Amino acid sequence: MDTRTTIAAHNIAEAETITAETDEPALLPGDFAIWFFIFAELLVFGIAFISYAVARVENTALFNQYQLTLNRELGAINTLLLITASYFVVRAIHAIRVNNVKGCVSWLYASLGCGTGFLLLKSVEYYDKFSHGIKLSTNTFYMFYLSLTMFHFLHVILGMIILFFIAIKAQRGGYSAQDHIGIETGASYWHMVDLAWIILFPLVYIIR
Amino acid sequence: MNTENKTIVVSNYYNANIVWISMLLLTALTYLMGKFEFSGTAVMLIILSTAAIKATLIIRDFMGLKGVSLLWRIIMYGWLSIVCLSIAIAYIISL
Repeated sequence: MDTRTTIAAHNIAEAETITAETDEPALLPGDFAIWFFIFAELLVFGIAFISYAVARVENTALFNQYQLTLNRELGAINTLLLITASYFVVRAIHAIRVNNVKGCVSWLYASLGCGTGFLLLKSVEYYDKFSHGIKLSTNTFYMFYLSLTMFHFLHVILGMIILFFIAIKAQRGGYSAQDHIGIETGASYWHMVDLAWIILFPLVYIIR
Repeated sequence: MNTENKTIVVSNYYNANIVWISMLLLTALTYLMGKFEFSGTAVMLIILSTAAIKATLIIRDFMGLKGVSLLWRIIMYGWLSIVCLSIAIAYIISL
């Protein structure tokens, strides 16, 4: 490891030592403002998830019947893709913390690859449903399935746009071990997208 | 790089790897329970608990909220608890 890497690692160690000595809570990763945005997004997702569960109480047989028409395999693969994308973003942050810009960029693009895989598989699922004439008005289950997953789909696209611009900036040397708040901000948003899917997948595809 | 610093960097990688693999395995478990179309209160609670564990790992280890102010931990874990409990109650009512 080069001198910059050693200094960066030393800074991390020093920061952790100071935190431990003063017993001060750690700062939220990234820009503080993103956390209000994340909380607002989670509130919307939370209300949507609870609405699905409540609607199912009155339509249990219908929900159980049409849930079987969903492609659980694609849903599970998509979950693995999003979890892996989040893991790659974590590795990108680890890389930039030791000034490994090239590694950081590679991990970010790997994450974008997983996100693209998610979008493609979800599109295959939608194509299958739409080609069978299924739409929002088909029944209550499909109304929830389509609106919940499409709402999440749009968040994946937004998260990927953010990660893409971060990767470009990182590639141009815009981040370093001392200054990478932008990466942490984008990463926090991306993890929120993953977090929402972690609940959405078992709720809509599995639990019956 | 001295031994202490190297240990911190390596332990970060190690922790992220463990969390990632754990979440993949928990997802496989969830999928298998769906594939065999298991149902009932116990199954629902197991699947929901699995999701809650995965969500906790994301909040704590991936988002990095371990050690942040109590207020933000209450907000994030509170959101998760309320959502999971509400879903569980709704499913129990429908059984």
